[in-house]
Amino acid sequence: MTKRNFDRAYWLSEASRRTGIPEDLLEKTFAGELDADRGVFEPLEVPDVMRIRYKYSYGGQSRFFREIRDNARIMGAKCSVCGMVYCPPRADCSECYAPTEWVPVSSEGAVVTCTKVYFSTSQFLSSVPYNCAYVKLDGADTWMFHNIDAEDVKPGDRVKAVFREKRCGLMSDFVFKPVGE
Amino acid sequence: MRKVAVVGVGATKFKARWIEKTYFELAFDAVKEALNMAGIGKDDVESVVYGIYNEFFQRQFMPELFTHDYLGFTFVPATRVAAGGATGGAAVRTAFMEVASGAHDVVAVVGLEKCTDCWDYDRATATPEVLRSIAYSIDMTYEYPLGAFAAAEYALPTVAHIEKFGGPTEEQMAMVSVKNHGNAMNNPLAQSGKEITVEDVMNSRMICYPFKFYDNCLYTEGAAALILASEDRAREITDKPVFITGVGSATDMGFPGFKTGRKSNIWEFGSTRVAGERAYRMAGIKNPRKELDVVEIHDAFTAAELLSYEAFGFCEPGGGGRLIEEGVTWMDGELPVCPSGGLIGCGHAVGATGVMQTGEAVLQLRGEADRRQVKNARKALVQSIGGVACAYTVAMVLERGE
Repeated sequence: MTKRNFDRAYWLSEASRRTGIPEDLLEKTFAGELDADRGVFEPLEVPDVMRIRYKYSYGGQSRFFREIRDNARIMGAKCSVCGMVYCPPRADCSECYAPTEWVPVSSEGAVVTCTKVYFSTSQFLSSVPYNCAYVKLDGADTWMFHNIDAEDVKPGDRVKAVFREKRCGLMSDFVFKPVGE
Repeated sequence: MRKVAVVGVGATKFKARWIEKTYFELAFDAVKEALNMAGIGKDDVESVVYGIYNEFFQRQFMPELFTHDYLGFTFVPATRVAAGGATGGAAVRTAFMEVASGAHDVVAVVGLEKCTDCWDYDRATATPEVLRSIAYSIDMTYEYPLGAFAAAEYALPTVAHIEKFGGPTEEQMAMVSVKNHGNAMNNPLAQSGKEITVEDVMNSRMICYPFKFYDNCLYTEGAAALILASEDRAREITDKPVFITGVGSATDMGFPGFKTGRKSNIWEFGSTRVAGERAYRMAGIKNPRKELDVVEIHDAFTAAELLSYEAFGFCEPGGGGRLIEEGVTWMDGELPVCPSGGLIGCGHAVGATGVMQTGEAVLQLRGEADRRQVKNARKALVQSIGGVACAYTVAMVLERGE
């Protein structure tokens, strides 16, 4: 065994500054290392973080998100050759290799398949339980992944997109609710 | 195309956390064991293929480069292959092609993953942060921001399958968990070997309908390695070569919402069906249920094993649940599936998993699988799947050499 031979407070403040993790959480997580005398051969754990910032372009799908943000409506992309309506949209038809054109689709549709989530990632664990589903919007040929704000959902249920009052141009600017509510 | 044999197998224990070793050190242990089994040295290896899925797990991009350095393979070509959960199988396939093509005579495959260094500080547990780093594999624009994650992406096709066929039932899914947890008790390298009942599974807490806690594999840490060799080299190295006689790979759509029936179907594992057909054609297999002796399936979720039975043609579409209920795929059944314990029994060390399961098939065919040995196994099938809702499949048929 060797004695701890470092400045505990400095270690905590530097670790917190470097990772953005609050000192109290670091203190709790690393209590064993900070408070006990450990041998030099014992595995040593350290806090770390990866964080990258972006300025991401939606490219040919930009109009989809502008329409959501500015006009609270959902657009699809129709292939100029086969007529398939993609929603979520694509600038190009992946089958015909032909350009698509923008067409409005209905904000109403039917649940194709769904699940209720009770345990999730660290980002969404505070939101459980929530419903995830694929929804076929009327006028679209593909299905959109989204959340259904309802107690129980089953395939075949009719749902409609309800837009938030303030919007950012994100998929989370709207949520589906059962038709009739 | 030249015949390709597996002549060396190595794997570390799959553990919830390998706090005492880095991922370089895990890779080292697996490679050393595989080289020892083959009776060759590292300088006999002409190329190395790495199956490592995720950069965030080890907060390290190009993780293969530093692993390659640690393994001492200076000037030997290193290639990393990544295909989500199918990363391990994809790495074996790539190494197979390097040998089959004549480019190299001896190639090492290293599957490696250390998943649980991710840590959720707020909840003082690893899993939610591990799940987050994996969820970045789902489309970041349309699906991830709405709380999509791996279990949901496999629950959605499962519910669609139930909607179409009326099954599998939750009890039938639970039987997969009972079988694979039980099989893992015979595997000293498995993390989760235990005797549980259908009731235990049914009563475990709901994660993501219809998956309860015991319907999910656990993410884990470990490494696995194989040594592949051309037929000539293989016969010099061992008198028990196991040949890879069929390789099939297929990639389905990454947006499950586009699997509308036009090209592929939400309710089936289409990539497994097509990859299986390709592997069977190459290996000359006409009736897989009769001709295969043992199968290693990628059972990340219990329903994934049942949908894979159907996709591989062990039964008709919709019949997967009945197959396990009838006992066909248990250790004493007609076609044992996952004697190793699979992902549910061993844990899922993502890039290592498919390599480990291929190694398990090799041990079965060499008659060296100890307590989990399937009697007189001559032909094995290995499946490696991954991506959103089984987008990737690599399927391989292995046969005992004469």
